Amino acid sequence: MLCQNCQKNEATTHIKRVINGETTEKHLCQSCAKKLGYDYDGFFDDFSFSIPNIFSGFFSDAPRALAGLRADRCETCGSSFDDIIRTGMVGCADCYERFYDRLLPSIQRIHGRAKHAGRIPFTVTAETEAQPKAQEAVAEPTTEEKIRRLQADMQKAIDCQNFEQAAVLRDNIKALRGEN
Amino acid sequence: MKWYENTAGNGDIVLSTRIRLARNLKNYPFPARLSADEKEKVNAVVKDALLTEQNQAGFDYIKMEDLSSVEAVSLAEKHLISPEFASENAGRALILSKDEDVSIMLNEEDHVRIQVIYPGLALEEAYARALEFDTALEQKAAVAFDERLGYLTQCPTNLGTGLRASVMLHLPALSGSGAMRRLATTIAKLGLTIRGAYGEGSRPVGDIFQLSNQVTLGISEQAALQNLNAIALQVIAQEKNARAALLKDDTFIDRIWRAYGILKSAHMLSCSEFTDLASLVRLGAAEGVLDISLPTLNRLLVEMQPATINVAEGRRCTAAERDVIRAKAVKEALG
Repeated sequence: MLCQNCQKNEATTHIKRVINGETTEKHLCQSCAKKLGYDYDGFFDDFSFSIPNIFSGFFSDAPRALAGLRADRCETCGSSFDDIIRTGMVGCADCYERFYDRLLPSIQRIHGRAKHAGRIPFTVTAETEAQPKAQEAVAEPTTEEKIRRLQADMQKAIDCQNFEQAAVLRDNIKALRGEN
Repeated sequence: MKWYENTAGNGDIVLSTRIRLARNLKNYPFPARLSADEKEKVNAVVKDALLTEQNQAGFDYIKMEDLSSVEAVSLAEKHLISPEFASENAGRALILSKDEDVSIMLNEEDHVRIQVIYPGLALEEAYARALEFDTALEQKAAVAFDERLGYLTQCPTNLGTGLRASVMLHLPALSGSGAMRRLATTIAKLGLTIRGAYGEGSRPVGDIFQLSNQVTLGISEQAALQNLNAIALQVIAQEKNARAALLKDDTFIDRIWRAYGILKSAHMLSCSEFTDLASLVRLGAAEGVLDISLPTLNRLLVEMQPATINVAEGRRCTAAERDVIRAKAVKEALG
């Protein structure tokens, strides 16, 4: 039997747990058993729960067989979509771009939404200023929208008394307004 | 001063507040796709960004390979690292502040996991501290970020803000009255989760629960923290009501004193017996039944864990040896 975690090595460890009367069984290879924390005098028994496994659960209804047939891989890290489904882990930042459409349904299921509403690193806002044309080409946020976000970030920075960052953001806003 | 030697807002119920930010470097694959050598490179970039001439005296940079497994597990017992981080050491490193309020895991599930622990309920303050490191990181290194998906993380459950905020709550009265299951269902509907901080099951060890946010995409940091704070305050209010009802009952007050009596006189205390009794005693101390300081009990709850005792003793003790050591230390601490 193959290890249920990596699907690569022969399973050598059998883990049976009874929690609240519900029995779960796992067959793992030695390295996955170690990775998932089943080898240390029972200490991890209470602690460990494996995020990858939980996440692969979210993917369970993804068209896996189909994905396996497609040989396309992320150019940066070499991961296929099937690798991501199997491990529950995305390979690199570029995988999100490469497999965006296929990842999106699962992301929506996890979070309910799929549009970031939080902090934006101010180095990213600095970059977008440096390459305004590239940004326009992909119809990214308007200058107004950018200013609005920067203002929100600046307010947050002020709220957190992070005045150094607030000053940088203020300068970025000024620069954006200058462009108009 | 370490968080567990101190107490702060709502300290009678809230042991600590934790903030965790998940970040990755743009130009490296996520940790699962990195060799040990590449992980070392990531570590060097992050160390260079976060440790400056001004602040480095206050921090230790620890290569996980240099720690024994017992030392690593002790750090996990103190919630300074994850149990998973303790279980595998190749290519991993930890930036730990001397007073243990900031612990930054390098090459855990993500390249960088910035964590801040403060005593009591202090979400805004802890987040502000974490943000200092986040800002320092992005000033020196290209961080993986996407306009639509926010901060990019190895596991999509952390996309968006990458922020996991949690509050460690001591809820003996709610837990004892069997109200936790209903409460957990309500909390889940609000996009948060509450579970035993130590161990699973219907009644977690020491009645200590961890309340944390679940959703990280489509919600701002401020909104997530405000939600969590509001729900934490409601749980605290419910626990206070439940405690007030229990303390009207002489048989319950008798249980507190008996628990105190055992802790003061036992020759051996197992970890689970100690945490069960300490829960009652902590409730008694918080409600003025017993004259014991909460930091004393918070400290014992952290330091009486198995691996942490082993580290203090400098050897791998047997469980029976630890039970004797634990009973002696508890007796001394309770004066």
